[in-house]
Amino acid sequence: MKISIIAGLGASVLWLAGCASAPQPRVKYVDAGAQGKFGGTGIESQDIGAAAQKAAQSIINLPEIARATTPPIVLITPVVNRSAAPVDTDLYTTKLRGILMSSGGGKVRFLARDAGAAVSTAEQQMRDAGQVRAGGAKRDAHTYDYILTAEVRGISAAAREGRSEYFLVAFKLINVDDLLLWEDQYEVKKEGRDAVIYR
Amino acid sequence: MRTWQAIGTLAAIALLTGCATTRGPLSASGRPIPPAALVAAETLADERQVPAPVRPYFVAMHAEGRENQTLHALRGGLVALRLGEFALAAELLDVAARDVESLQEGAAQARRAQSKFVREQEKWFKGETYERSALYVYRGLLYLREHDFGNAAACFKRAQLHDITGEDAPGFAGDWYSAELLLALASYRQGVPEDAVRALERTKSFTVKPGEVTPPQPGDNLLVFVETGVAPVKYRAGQYGEQLRFREMPTPIRTVELWEAGQRRAAGPAAESLFAQATTRGTRQVDFILAGKAQFKQGTEAGALALGMGAVIASQHRGREANIATGVLAGLAVISAIASSATTPEADIRAWENLPNALYVLTASVPPGEREWEVRGLDARGGVVQSVKLKLPIETGSPLRVLFVKL
Repeated sequence: MKISIIAGLGASVLWLAGCASAPQPRVKYVDAGAQGKFGGTGIESQDIGAAAQKAAQSIINLPEIARATTPPIVLITPVVNRSAAPVDTDLYTTKLRGILMSSGGGKVRFLARDAGAAVSTAEQQMRDAGQVRAGGAKRDAHTYDYILTAEVRGISAAAREGRSEYFLVAFKLINVDDLLLWEDQYEVKKEGRDAVIYR
Repeated sequence: MRTWQAIGTLAAIALLTGCATTRGPLSASGRPIPPAALVAAETLADERQVPAPVRPYFVAMHAEGRENQTLHALRGGLVALRLGEFALAAELLDVAARDVESLQEGAAQARRAQSKFVREQEKWFKGETYERSALYVYRGLLYLREHDFGNAAACFKRAQLHDITGEDAPGFAGDWYSAELLLALASYRQGVPEDAVRALERTKSFTVKPGEVTPPQPGDNLLVFVETGVAPVKYRAGQYGEQLRFREMPTPIRTVELWEAGQRRAAGPAAESLFAQATTRGTRQVDFILAGKAQFKQGTEAGALALGMGAVIASQHRGREANIATGVLAGLAVISAIASSATTPEADIRAWENLPNALYVLTASVPPGEREWEVRGLDARGGVVQSVKLKLPIETGSPLRVLFVKL
């Protein structure tokens, strides 16, 4: 009789195992700087944050910035991507500006032409044409003292088992006379293997 | 003997009803879609005002669970692109890209899909390598359209990165001709001509290219990307459907021409055959897993038959021992039969089915102005099989205009 019970149980286990459904994924909050659970080998949010943090600290310590009597104005240009991984360049720029702004202690100011220049220019044109009343403030736009550039380069390799990628984020601070004042680099290398069912 | 009859009956019921499906719509993986998930997805589609042609894919993407998210995102993304809904296309292709990039070694879903008793099509869909590469070609085109040449170039490089092959197909890795042509165009526009030259140099060693395409030139400001035919069809072969095979859906179009004001502006053969890319992959590692499952299924099937025959022979004898032997053998035969029945070696044939058969990359340098274009698809004899006329202005100072055409 024992055999029959074992046989019955075995059959039931096999049957249930075959039809088991996968648990549904749940949404949860995670640290923005944490590594993704099933991340890839491309540039991720924590890389953006780390690179921006490193650059911000280095820029603020520059004598030209630290000892300036008037906080210099910096124009951050869009990130140039020359790697093999798409990068959210707007996010990169916003993150870099945010970190510099929060950790700069008022030592630098930023030109934000991407945010308001188009609206302000259009408003000024309407004022000049007499279409709207002249407001109290007259447009007197600033220009920059320094340009901050960032370029992402990379070396990527893939095989059946997985991928390996190296990224170099190079920052440059250039003054209005095209003189390179500062350059810093942030590098990251990632390797990962894919599950055998995807190879 | 009543016990044995009961076991036999239970086993038969289990065998017959084993994975019986419930009523209602099934996902692309063959699993029931929870009604609540379907309602939520429909509501989201309403809120987002998703265009009607994209809606079925959008709803399926949100209702069918993670295992089919990428599949429907790819299909919906391509429909959106062809509709001219470029922001939605980019959003959906980005959803797919996140899953395609996600490395799954050690993931529970990946381990589960390796089980003998779980079908391969229940794994999270990431597509075959040609589908992953195609994803980046299309995503790169959307970046080109937005004049984000850096990210466009990154996508075309990534298309090559995903074109991996088995050890038995060493010469076919990273050989997407269309991706290199588009990388060259993006690099010229990005102001990195040396990258363009290197990309074009690499194409000289490619053996799967359907023909020689006139490469992009540094001053080109018009890209006409033409798709023809329908995607290769995936089907199962082998005793248990454990082998993945592809069938080409032939198209008569062999050449595409771009005409404007009675002048032929550009012409050329296909830059890519998706069937060629799908079939030069070589042996996949998952093929060995499926072959193992098929062997197990065959072995347990044969075992059930042998044990059943043994039980029949044992039942011819009289006595307590003979009865026990009959019972044991019959029980083992049932277990073996159930194991065989529950084993699922069928290959995953979910496919990005609205991909085309071939991709054409035509570029030209065109002065600004309002223009009417005609794209003609020609057969092997030079006869026009299909043509499309459309208006597309070339703006002053615009670095690149991208025109999508489906023939």
